[in-house]
Amino acid sequence: MSEFSKALSISSSGLQAQASRLRHLSENISNAATPGYRRKTIPFEMEMNSGVSRVTVGRMSLDDRPLDHIFDPSHPLADESGNYEGSNVDLLIELADAREAQRSYEANLKMFEQARQMSSGLMQLLRR
Amino acid sequence: MESTLISAVQGYASSRPATQPGTQPGGSMFGQLMGDFANTLAHSEAVSQQAMVGDVDPHALVQALAQTELAVETAVTVRNKVVEAYQEILRMPV
Repeated sequence: MSEFSKALSISSSGLQAQASRLRHLSENISNAATPGYRRKTIPFEMEMNSGVSRVTVGRMSLDDRPLDHIFDPSHPLADESGNYEGSNVDLLIELADAREAQRSYEANLKMFEQARQMSSGLMQLLRR
Repeated sequence: MESTLISAVQGYASSRPATQPGTQPGGSMFGQLMGDFANTLAHSEAVSQQAMVGDVDPHALVQALAQTELAVETAVTVRNKVVEAYQEILRMPV
């Protein structure tokens, strides 16, 4: 496996990790109005494999910040004081995170393209 | 006169082995290289078929296709070089 092949495979792992992050972000955003929903977060972990450190996503964990108390006496889940527990998703944080995932994805795409172009350029050297 | 004829025959006999195909250790290495190349192609083909059915990550597909493209490019370049060298030898005045 050449260095270019390794670079391609590392970039591919980065793309996969960011795609997985985006999946969890969209789960959070779509469940922002679900009562009792806790925001999901995923850690990134380094995976050493035959001298190449790829990135993988670790175990998903739930954000244990307190849930929002929403006052709505007509809601079926409301207690005697008229409050019910919503989700602890903050849309602003999720959107900022999604933008960061996009930037990171683009950076990995650029590295993929770069490795391909460099390898192609090397072979171009032998051509006339 | 006769001695020059004998020496010419001897010279011809001694130069003959150079034109015979030998069993160099490089032959098996080249075979292994071709095997690796075929494996890369087969892997890419399998991933593409799975992608069309829809049960493979698109990143894996792109990675496999990019690696195959590089492998094919390398193989084509090496083949062109080999053919070029062969033609160069054929053009050699004897």
